[in-house]
Amino acid sequence: MTIAENATGGSTARGASLPDARTGGLLALGLLIALVCVVPFGLVLVISLGNKIEGAGWEWGLSLSNYSRFFFGIGWPETVSTLYAQKLFYSLYFAVIASLLAVLVAFPFTYLLTRLSRRSQAAWLILLLSSVSLSEVFVVMGWDVLLSNRSGLPMVFRETGITAWLKGNGGLEVLREWGLASPRNIRFKTSAFATILTMVYLVFPYAVILLYPALSRIDPAMMEAARTMGARPLTVIRTVVLPAVRIPVTGAVLLLFVFLLGSYVAITVFAAPAQQTLTISIYESIRGQTINAPFGAAQAVVLLVTAALFLGASSLIAKRSGL
Amino acid sequence: MAGIRLRGVSKRFAGSVTAVHATDLDFPGGALTALLGPSGCGKTTLLRMLAGLETPSHGSILLGETDITDRPAHLRRFGMVFQSFALFPHLSVAENIAYALAVAGTGKAERRQRADALLDLVQLSGYGDRRIGALSGGQRQRVAIARALAQSPEVFLLDEPMSALDAKLREEMQVELRLLQQRLGITTIVVTHDQREAMTMADRIVVMSQGRVEQSGPPDEIYHKPANAFVADFIGRANFFDGLVGEGGVHVPGKDGESVALSVEPAPAFMSGAPVTLAIRPERACLDEPQGSASRLAARVTFLRDVGSTRDIHLDTAIGPIIVEYAAGEALRPYTVGEQVALFLPASAIHVFAQGVRKDAA
Repeated sequence: MTIAENATGGSTARGASLPDARTGGLLALGLLIALVCVVPFGLVLVISLGNKIEGAGWEWGLSLSNYSRFFFGIGWPETVSTLYAQKLFYSLYFAVIASLLAVLVAFPFTYLLTRLSRRSQAAWLILLLSSVSLSEVFVVMGWDVLLSNRSGLPMVFRETGITAWLKGNGGLEVLREWGLASPRNIRFKTSAFATILTMVYLVFPYAVILLYPALSRIDPAMMEAARTMGARPLTVIRTVVLPAVRIPVTGAVLLLFVFLLGSYVAITVFAAPAQQTLTISIYESIRGQTINAPFGAAQAVVLLVTAALFLGASSLIAKRSGL
Repeated sequence: MAGIRLRGVSKRFAGSVTAVHATDLDFPGGALTALLGPSGCGKTTLLRMLAGLETPSHGSILLGETDITDRPAHLRRFGMVFQSFALFPHLSVAENIAYALAVAGTGKAERRQRADALLDLVQLSGYGDRRIGALSGGQRQRVAIARALAQSPEVFLLDEPMSALDAKLREEMQVELRLLQQRLGITTIVVTHDQREAMTMADRIVVMSQGRVEQSGPPDEIYHKPANAFVADFIGRANFFDGLVGEGGVHVPGKDGESVALSVEPAPAFMSGAPVTLAIRPERACLDEPQGSASRLAARVTFLRDVGSTRDIHLDTAIGPIIVEYAAGEALRPYTVGEQVALFLPASAIHVFAQGVRKDAA
């Protein structure tokens, strides 16, 4: 009886002081998050409802005209233009393909990496991590040189006779249809191929780092057990390794997708003018020649909401399929 | 059931560590053989070579008359139970058990039927739809055993199958596994470092140390006729002395500088003057005069240890400390620490080995 009383007494005494400190801490943390996340987003949201004043910046407002311009064009309802919807489409198009490809390439790479000795694993990881420190501008510059029509790979193809050989057997025609050649030579700039290649290159180290913990945690005995039960190496990967890492793999694809939605440099350098993405036009609206902050803000809001919808949908699908 | 034979099998890992030296071994068909030894003795490497998970550096592995040295693990299809059980967490119990059948392309209904039959066999009927995470350690082990048996393998391999279980469950499972193996009559090889486990389950024990086979044979032979000091020390307990072969037995140097002659039967097969190691099991030394010839030593009681089923009497003698073990219930007068007693070492109970490396006496 005394013990019980003591215990209750103790817990109330502690309960009086501890939760107070905890609530205070949570409150401070909440305020900080509100300040650095919610306030800027709220500002963007409010600006997107404002109006541009010709030659004099913009004013507060409560109109949805920027959104209607985004989806139906500036002349709506008389005329309809889907220019910005197309930009949104290309934002998603590049981000989806590049994030899937990056994880697709990183998966076998990381799997083989985890089979190496501890030492070589560490060496590879350090190499990958240091490549993350290269800025996007620097990486794109490198690929720009490598893929440029005069001095990059196309020049190498021409000088080594590969171009002439392709012309002879009709290969160049096929490449032209794919948008990877001019009538005279192979051409990577501008192309969706070069854009996606650079984007994959940019996020590949992140993909490896995201997959590495899950793949290295798999008990090797599980794979060996599968082998003793008649599974060939590829069957082992399909039936044991992949199911064990499907959550991290899905997570990696989603994270890289959101990250790539914001690509800027790779798109400006490699994407064809008709395939420019929202990031470019947002920048144009806010800093470029056609300054229109409210419209830029509206585009940013649409991009953000789209990303949120994608994440929500995928988590819903994941839940449905029992991940 | 086909047996397995190893002919000159050795394994050398990169970095020049020889895990297993050239080994000839026969695993008789239908029998349970235990590979027994301390950790790092090469027993697991040997088992992995049998499973096809490691390739021997030299030598060949024969299944019946067929050379299977280069046959990969997925074509050998020996059922194997891993130390960690290695169950697939993303599959249900029944799906785990039927994994080998699913890989082989067997139909769903047949898979389920086989899984249910195997669950009956390991006394887990009705557990088919559970998740692996919802099972206890003992249940996981049963699932691992059922899974390894699902493909009706020619050889059944188990790597330290009891090490993840608590002591009490371990003894139960040893008996259960042995009964199951006898019922199926399957050629079985169990890796263990626990001599009691090996003696509980095995028809034959292979004692290994530092990549070499020290002795192989039936459990009672290993225990009662150890081939060398290592085996005598690793299997059960033994009192050890070093001495020289001489007139009337073996002369063991005493503490006071005078050597004590111990009579040994049969007479040691060593040249006179050869250095030898003597071993005597604690239960074979006695405090009452036994029948047959025995060496008599004066001794002083230093410690008494009663663990219920047995009583140990620690003694100090001229040739060093000796432990005598009596089973509970054996007629024995009470002793007190410090008491002077007579110790008898029966000549037939003393094992004589060439002096060599052995594990420190327990």
